[in-house]
Amino acid sequence: MIPPSVIDEIARVVGEENIFISLEERMCYGYDGTPNAFIPDLVARPGNTGEIQAIVRLANRHLFPIIPRGAGTGLSGGSLPVNSGVVLDLTRMNRILEIDEENLVAVVEPGVVTFAIQQEVERRGLFYPPDPASLKTSTIGGNVAECAGGPRAFKYGVTRDYVMGLEVVTPQGELVTTGGKTVKSVTGYDLTRLYTGSEGTLGIITKIYLRLIPKPEAIKTLMAVFTKLDEATQTVTLIIKRGIIPVTLELMDDRTIQCVENYLHLGLPVDAGAILIIEVDGARDLIESQAGRVAELCREGGAREIRTAGNEQERNEIWAARRAVSAAVVQIKPTKISEDVSVPRSQIPDMARKLREIALRYHLDLVIFGHAGDGNLHPNILCDQKDAEEMERVEKAVGELFQAAVELGGTLSGEHGIGTMKAPYLKLETGEAGYQAMLAIKQALDPKNILNPGKIFGGEHLGNSGHGQ
Amino acid sequence: METLATASEALKRCSKCGGCQAVCPLYGETQAESYVARGKIFLIKSYLEGKVELSPKMKELMSLCLLCKACVDNCPNKVPVDQLVLAARREIAGEKGISFIKKNIFQNLLQNNGNLSLAARMGYLYQHSGAQGLVRKTGLLKLISDDLAKKEGLLPKVARHPFRRQVPRVITGSRPRIRAAYYTGCLTNYVYPGTGFAVVDVLKRNGVEIVIPEQWCCGIPALASGDEASAAALARRNIETFTRAGVDAIITDCASCGSMLHDYADLIEGGEARGFAGKVMDFSQFLNDAVDFQPGDREVPLLATYHDPCHLRRGQGVYAAPRKLIRGVPGLEFQEMKEADRCCGAAGSFNLSYYDLSNRIGKRKAKNIQETGAGLVVTGCPSCIMQITHVLEQEQSPVQVMHLAELLSMTYAGEADCDLRAG
Ligand SMILES: Cc1cc2nc3c(=O)[nH]c(=O)nc-3n(C[C@H](O)[C@H](O)[C@H](O)COP(=O)(O)OP(=O)(O)OC[C@H]3O[C@@H](n4cnc5c(N)ncnc54)[C@H](O)[C@@H]3O)c2cc1C
Ligand code: SF4
Ligand code: SF4
Repeated sequence: MIPPSVIDEIARVVGEENIFISLEERMCYGYDGTPNAFIPDLVARPGNTGEIQAIVRLANRHLFPIIPRGAGTGLSGGSLPVNSGVVLDLTRMNRILEIDEENLVAVVEPGVVTFAIQQEVERRGLFYPPDPASLKTSTIGGNVAECAGGPRAFKYGVTRDYVMGLEVVTPQGELVTTGGKTVKSVTGYDLTRLYTGSEGTLGIITKIYLRLIPKPEAIKTLMAVFTKLDEATQTVTLIIKRGIIPVTLELMDDRTIQCVENYLHLGLPVDAGAILIIEVDGARDLIESQAGRVAELCREGGAREIRTAGNEQERNEIWAARRAVSAAVVQIKPTKISEDVSVPRSQIPDMARKLREIALRYHLDLVIFGHAGDGNLHPNILCDQKDAEEMERVEKAVGELFQAAVELGGTLSGEHGIGTMKAPYLKLETGEAGYQAMLAIKQALDPKNILNPGKIFGGEHLGNSGHGQ
Repeated sequence: METLATASEALKRCSKCGGCQAVCPLYGETQAESYVARGKIFLIKSYLEGKVELSPKMKELMSLCLLCKACVDNCPNKVPVDQLVLAARREIAGEKGISFIKKNIFQNLLQNNGNLSLAARMGYLYQHSGAQGLVRKTGLLKLISDDLAKKEGLLPKVARHPFRRQVPRVITGSRPRIRAAYYTGCLTNYVYPGTGFAVVDVLKRNGVEIVIPEQWCCGIPALASGDEASAAALARRNIETFTRAGVDAIITDCASCGSMLHDYADLIEGGEARGFAGKVMDFSQFLNDAVDFQPGDREVPLLATYHDPCHLRRGQGVYAAPRKLIRGVPGLEFQEMKEADRCCGAAGSFNLSYYDLSNRIGKRKAKNIQETGAGLVVTGCPSCIMQITHVLEQEQSPVQVMHLAELLSMTYAGEADCDLRAG
């Protein structure tokens, strides 16, 4: 526990009205989008960088952990206060500081909701492409800290590809500025990239320089129906091989289709093996021919039906199916264990097959949907948190699923991060030497282990059973 | 009604995705996780698991909800957040009791129309006797509490005579084709009789025989405070007199009352309550669906916008009918506002309990209204009218606020057959 005198000091920094002390309010800052929950000692809600520095200095003096937190939508347990400490809620720092239309740069504070940035820049004919499904709630700081991706990543890349510079409060309370508005910058190590995806363990991001691009003129959406999952995954590789880069290439397998149809009655083909939702964008006069080419390739790959959205409403209808997936699949069983393994694109068919095998072996309900274009599949296991025996099988299956991804040259996490959920498996991918290199960085930058302890490294097995609750 | 004991299935459905942050007006103003649906659901779940108690903090956090259902509507898992919060409030009321003042209001004042009229009369005297002027001028309220002074400004002028005293029990136009009862609601009755006259005027001109039976508060203030018993007692009285009236429909001009009357079927068992609830219809929906509505010829040359009351749009699924009726007004131009269905912050007595927060939510509404450039904002709930008028006044905005019935009634003005007030 943090002594009351220290809490008073923190209150003096941010103001009485910007700390939460009551048990009830602290509990509300102890969970995220995972099934787990803890209780922090205190929640502090700084309004500017100076206040953050002051709190970090206090942490160095009194040795308490600081856990940066955005909107708490993380899916790897990154913002969980596993060792108590002070949750640093950054949502009050939510200003868009500047949109520089000449240099195509947006300068924002970490607590801005990603969607707000997109709306603001799109009004000016500009575009910030990363689109995690949580974009209407998650913060840009959380996106940078997790290097979030989304369906558009296939063509446009992930958050990392748009971070040009950062302002960061170090674990000692100093201020570091990396990169900035210039497109090129090679002065020393690339700290921008180091902090991006560091999950709040190396520094607290207080300002972000984002690269913007012109907004594409037109967009076209197609849905292709396949009898077999294999055909769909092969088609993904085929499209890419022929040199077409769609904005999105989303896959839904048969179980997913059935769940969504059951849930929403959209008229989806329940006897299909898989559906691909494909979107192309670009110049208005080229868009039709591009879409036509994609349709042709789908047919070549074995698609038995292709729907092309003629207008915005039809486009929404196609996307409604994809958006409903998360809600629909929990109708099978209440607990959803979402993994986000990523494999090289060419390995998608193999990975899909392996996933099926694993589910069968452990008698688990598994659905596959996700960003097939970039190899980032989201296998979801549906289970019941209260069923201990089943949860044990889930743990084993998850371990095998990671193993399979790594064996195919893939990664444990495409976009959700390691956090606490995947910490036990980290070495599987990095190997001992890689792990030690990362740990050395953490120890060098944060020797007192102030920032977000217990994440990425350590690997105490929290599992999915609602730990701490 | 959902009780906490039966709620655990619904609680389990929350996947903690945080999606509610994007739409919760309280979160929008405060960014406080303890105010958003996800936080409340987590706390209720923790209470059922014995991890927190019904502490004063818990009571406060449970009272911090507009019951606006924006979260429910947006939730991928359709968690009935408002119902769960109400169940928690009932549990708290049962365990801790409700405040002495509230108890007195719900169990005595609201159950007795004579006393309620007397209270309204005293309110009227206070506002007109010079006492209000004196209190305001001397800054007496500010001395006691700044907050109280502002709240006093929120209170609307109480009407000299309640609406129902001024109209006959049965009003028949020239050739009635349908018989409907009019549930006037407390605000129309005591504060906005003009709305009542407009409702009667429009209905009468469109072939409706109107019955206004003896009636009581719908019970929503009691239910929202966790006092289910008082709410049920009021419901029984209303069901009895309205059933006896033998009508085809029961019309409401207040979104909150309407939503509550629909819920009688959940509150009270039996066919009578279900029959009653089945007949309840919002004024706009009734005009749209049940009669061949014809507006008058008089032009209303204004740019107008429309605010969706939470309990109309999400509570009763009514949003197309009022828009259609407004667009049909001759001479009027309609302009949709941004976030038309976002709560205005009134939420029953929320604006009295949490004045500043409610006011911040209201300011956003005022801004959205003003951005349309409209000279008139129309809505379907007296409680929203009160709140929106208050926030627009603070901005010194000239925009008028009006109930849909008043707008429609204006199209007839000048024509014969509308002056009920004499009677
Ligand atoms: C329904 C749903 C859909 C999702 N879809 C996607 C998706 O499509 N793609 C995807 O990539 N992710 C997705 N996510 C995961 C999640 O939304 C992202 O990881 C997001 O980036 C987290 O942002 P946040 O603001 O909620 O951060 P939090 O959850 O609060 O924090 C996440 C991590 O970032 C750290 N952090 C937060 N702010 C800062 C800061 N300013 N400085 C330093 N560290 C900080 C925290 O310590 C923590 O480690 C989804 C989540 C949900 C619930
Ligand atoms: S209430 Fe609904 S929207 Fe909010 S966190 Fe729970 S599941 Fe998500
Ligand atoms: S009902 Fe309205 S105020 Fe209450 S939690 Fe839901 S969105 Fe927020």
